[in-house]
Amino acid sequence: MPYAGALKVLIVDDQNSVRQMTRLSLEEFGVRNVYDSGDGASALKFAGSQPLDLIISDYNMPEMDGLALLRAVRAHPVVRRLPFILLTGRGDKELVIKAAQAGANNYLVKPFTAAALREKIEQVVGKLQ
Amino acid sequence: MTTIDDLRTTFFDECDELLVDLESNLARMEEGDADVINAVFRAVHSIKGGAGIFGYDGLVAFSHSFETVLDLMRQGALESSSAAVATLLTASDMLSDLVSSARSGAATESEGRAQCQTALERLAAGSGAGDAPHTSGSGAESFDDIAFTPVQSDHFESTERHTIIFRPAEHAFQEGRDPLEALRALGQIGEVEIAADLDGLPALPDLVVDQLHIGWRVVLETAAARDEVERVLEGLPFASIAFPDEPLPSSFSVDDKPEPGDPAPGPAPTEPPAKAGEDERANEPRGRDATQRSTARIDLEKIDRVVNIVGELVIAQAMLGQIAQGLPDESRGQIAQVLDEVLHHTRELKDSVMAMRAQPLRTVFQKMPRLVRELSLKTGKKVRLETVGEGTEVDRTIIERLSDPLTHIIRNSIDHGIESPEARIAAGKDGEGVVTLSAIHRGGRIVIEVRDDGRGIDRDKVLARARERGLAPANAALSEEEVNNLIFAPGFSTAATVSDISGRGVGMDVVRSNIQDLGGRIALHSQPGAGMTIQLALPLTLAVMDGMMVRAGEDVYVLPISAIVECLRPQRSDVHALIGTRGMLRLRGELVPLVYLAELLSAASEARELSQGVVIITESSQSGRLGLVVDDLLGHQQVVIKNIEDSYGVIPGIAAATILGDGKVAFILDADKLADLAAAGFSPVRGAASAGVFSALSH
Repeated sequence: MPYAGALKVLIVDDQNSVRQMTRLSLEEFGVRNVYDSGDGASALKFAGSQPLDLIISDYNMPEMDGLALLRAVRAHPVVRRLPFILLTGRGDKELVIKAAQAGANNYLVKPFTAAALREKIEQVVGKLQ
Repeated sequence: MTTIDDLRTTFFDECDELLVDLESNLARMEEGDADVINAVFRAVHSIKGGAGIFGYDGLVAFSHSFETVLDLMRQGALESSSAAVATLLTASDMLSDLVSSARSGAATESEGRAQCQTALERLAAGSGAGDAPHTSGSGAESFDDIAFTPVQSDHFESTERHTIIFRPAEHAFQEGRDPLEALRALGQIGEVEIAADLDGLPALPDLVVDQLHIGWRVVLETAAARDEVERVLEGLPFASIAFPDEPLPSSFSVDDKPEPGDPAPGPAPTEPPAKAGEDERANEPRGRDATQRSTARIDLEKIDRVVNIVGELVIAQAMLGQIAQGLPDESRGQIAQVLDEVLHHTRELKDSVMAMRAQPLRTVFQKMPRLVRELSLKTGKKVRLETVGEGTEVDRTIIERLSDPLTHIIRNSIDHGIESPEARIAAGKDGEGVVTLSAIHRGGRIVIEVRDDGRGIDRDKVLARARERGLAPANAALSEEEVNNLIFAPGFSTAATVSDISGRGVGMDVVRSNIQDLGGRIALHSQPGAGMTIQLALPLTLAVMDGMMVRAGEDVYVLPISAIVECLRPQRSDVHALIGTRGMLRLRGELVPLVYLAELLSAASEARELSQGVVIITESSQSGRLGLVVDDLLGHQQVVIKNIEDSYGVIPGIAAATILGDGKVAFILDADKLADLAAAGFSPVRGAASAGVFSALSH
């Protein structure tokens, strides 16, 4: 059972306000090690250099979108098994299918509540302590 | 501590940027470039996403309809025709309005919004692809039928993951040590993933075969505890082993992080080739524009506070200078030296703070391509807009107030200046007209020009119209320049029918007074048949101003340099008495009414003698030229503008106040209002009604 306080989460979103809101939600249920990144490329670089337990990435980003980041993570020699949750817009089933095929561990529709975020994280990494 | 309200502010700031992007990309939509359509889609999508998080449902619903249309275009199901783009441009305006009303907390429902949303929905429906109606606030949907990859390792339960970075000493081989030993030992206590770090690898000619140039990064998944892993490694002959697993000091943004000697693995052979490029890109600035890289958002209020403090500093330093003047010679020399230095630093400080408030004119210029596009559609004229110097920086208070005047000038150029394609071709010009918008710093001011290659000002037409409107006497012989300037006269319009383009309520007179309110000047050059240039010269900031210090009676006033045309000591014989005035000055054949500043502001009661005074010729948009008589000119000085309206209300003829070097407060005069005051007393037309105001002031 992972301990929320020890969980290391990377948030990837090009919108600072969304990153910070996600960070607040995570902090609400005790996740203290939260990193964030504004684009896929630096997120990938960061994930390769730091131990992480989870990536929560938006889909809609310029240059490298969330799906491309997911694929790059899954192709990465070191972090390829890193749990990955993709944030999507409402009703984009096609994208969710693509994400599942690319190896996402779950998805979450924006906007979300802290409770919904926690639920998704628990589905992926197990019940949080 | 970040609060949700702070994040809202961040969100709205982002919206502003996204809306600017949206606007500039929409103008390029018709080209059908996939990247442009994607960028437009992304901007709307991001606004929608943020709006959802912060609970602005109206904004979400509208941006959803907007996004749906863009999505269809992105997929190629809908063509980005000019009619469609026009709808999108309207939608972008509406989106911008909705963002501002969400920001101010105003109601977001309006008829225009509903209409615009219907237009978008119709556009989407027209593509045949259709879209499920947006249901805001419905519970999280779930696609239960989609199977997600379960998390492959169970390291949350029983195993731990350690990241170990090896950097064996270069001479390891020479000492008979084999790094493989370490890697094997780790492999025995758990599952390892190893990536080589090739960053230290020299170019081939520099390679020394018996030296170790590479390092490794090992991710070890093991049930063994951390100290067990350390024990395994203890026995190994490698000093430089690091566990970067320690949680980083606190939560932070990746983007803020300084490069930690770059422990990232080099591209391993198993990676797809594309990844290497992406990895490198992480070092590059994210935006298209490298200048956007390291910026901080600072509350304007904070900067304004610094501006104020710098203002106080300028004043304190001027006071110090005056005190130093009164000291005995030997100590004055020393102090003067230090004061010089202080002066230098204060000036630099002032310039740096002003630079912080400065913004490139891009935000204003970016709105113009769209305006030109709409106007050329409406008028059927072909017009191309060229912009030069949009990176030129100017104080943001000025930027905020430039948009309307520039919009109007460009409207005017296209509506009246540029000819129809047929007329242009007949005149031997290219069928496409060009409007050039340029900005440049010149002599401590910013000069903005709107130039067109149209027909120029039709002087006969202008003059006829001015006479018809009673703006020019029927028999007056006006110079070319005077005729040109008639278009700035209040109530002037040359279009026979007021088109809905230029006729949006303001005339060029309003443009001129807007520019003058900013302490700027407007000038016009026209060459019949070849085009017209309107030039705006504006101060770089509104916080500090160039002023002429003048004495009237016992008091010192500051007159903005921008209002002064010239200063002179006239001959007695040049002044002509005229009943109801304090005299008219004949200046190069023109009669200029004289006004005694001291009398006007009731600063002194005794009658003034012109022979002792100086006449300052000022010019205002309404009343034309005025000869302001003061007792003395005290010199030119930069002054810090202090608002007094908040404390004392509006004082006729006074714009603001400043603090002089001796600590005294001086009023900054408002040349336009002074002219109004004078006119109220002197003008044979208006004087009768408001003579009371003047006599109240002058006695």
